[in-house]
Amino acid sequence: MHEYAFFLGCIAPNRYPGCEAAAIKTSEKVGIKLLPLKGGSCCPAPGAFGSIDLAVWYAMAARNVCLAEEMKKDITLICNGCYKSIYEVNHILKHNDDLKDKVNEVLAEIDMEFKGSQDVWHLAELYYDPKICGVQKIRDSVTTPLTGAKVAVHYGCHLMKPQKERHFGDTENPMWLEELVDALGCESVQYRNKMQCCGAGGGVRGYDLTHSLDITNEKMINLQEVGADALTEVCPFCQLQYDRGQVEIQETFGVSYNLPVLHYNELLGLAQGMSPQDLALDLHAIDCTPFLKKVL
Amino acid sequence: MAAKKYDDPELNAKLGNRRYHTTDTNPEFTQNVLDISRTIANMCYQCGTCTGSCPSAPRSSYRIRLFMRRAVLGLEDEALTDPDLWLCTTCYSCTDRCPRGIAPTDVIMAMRNLAFKRDIIPRNFLKTVQLIYKTGHGVPNNDVNRAARVKLGLDADPPTTHSYPEFIPGIQKIIDHFDMKQNADRILEGE
Repeated sequence: MHEYAFFLGCIAPNRYPGCEAAAIKTSEKVGIKLLPLKGGSCCPAPGAFGSIDLAVWYAMAARNVCLAEEMKKDITLICNGCYKSIYEVNHILKHNDDLKDKVNEVLAEIDMEFKGSQDVWHLAELYYDPKICGVQKIRDSVTTPLTGAKVAVHYGCHLMKPQKERHFGDTENPMWLEELVDALGCESVQYRNKMQCCGAGGGVRGYDLTHSLDITNEKMINLQEVGADALTEVCPFCQLQYDRGQVEIQETFGVSYNLPVLHYNELLGLAQGMSPQDLALDLHAIDCTPFLKKVL
Repeated sequence: MAAKKYDDPELNAKLGNRRYHTTDTNPEFTQNVLDISRTIANMCYQCGTCTGSCPSAPRSSYRIRLFMRRAVLGLEDEALTDPDLWLCTTCYSCTDRCPRGIAPTDVIMAMRNLAFKRDIIPRNFLKTVQLIYKTGHGVPNNDVNRAARVKLGLDADPPTTHSYPEFIPGIQKIIDHFDMKQNADRILEGE
């Protein structure tokens, strides 16, 4: 069993608790144990918080990493926004002593110190990593194959970009999440401009909702074009933007898509035999029933 | 080739000074952006790949290429008072595609940081600061969600600062170190 400190962030536990429940249960079936990271805070939001003062962003994110260092565990998480903050700050501070010293000066006031002893991983990359889990293990864990459904994938931005500060390689047309989706028995579909942003990041959702929804709407048009039955992603903030965003798009632009949006962990949960109630799919703004009827 | 000589000594001095800036420009701004962003905007040759990759560009007047030029020329007021500065979704497409290896997204982030120092900031950003200061979360828990969590077999509050509020004073100390909450309150009150 590989053990990790599970960093929750905000939107997964506080808006889509099904993602959190699914992550804990599904990962256990493929040999990953998630331990609660006690006292974690907001990562803090890279767009909203980083835009104001990056120095505070570094210090706040470093505090979260310190909690895991005290546990002597690597961090894993299920949100791209958290990944940007926690992974990137951990990465930068490990390679920049000046910044590290500045951050530690602040952390000293609360008796903490960033050492740089742990790594940070997105749970999806652990699923894909054959040394930890791998696609075959995911395939073997499936008890209810989700056959007959076309599922589109949204990678989100902060997981893989900027490429220079990550280790995923190509960010123009990656296919590894599709492999993870295909392993569940459903068929992944390609659509136009797959790597485009959901529109929520950088504080734009809060600053100019219509603008942000317009970006989402473009994605929805492209998804509708290929007849996707559901959209899956690995970021609860993207999920919020697509799920609640569809309701807001209906109110703002008068078009509706009714495309169910599921976090990859929720999808994996379904394939491993969890019920829609166990995943709190009823909390989603867009009804998942048409998709569930197709696959269950 | 030597610069052409004119009769006007003032003009000659201007032409001879390769670091000459007009009255609109602030050379310190270029340096401040560089220090915060840790990417060299001066390398930009204005090809426009960034604007072409930008999801915000087709639906607004926001042009990341223009901001890159403003960074290089030190056009501080023009950059920081432009409301388009806040339309970047930080998707990093421009950064991944920049043929000069610059990170335009980080230039925008640096400019936003500098704007905040001059009290220029949309209110939604400040609300997030207040929420994190109070609860540790930018998106805090609520009663509907608590009920759903219990149904799922989770604790009503997640094992974050919600369940361990003893960590909140530490977070407040970090934010106070930079006077961020104080400034946010002041700007919101002044509206």
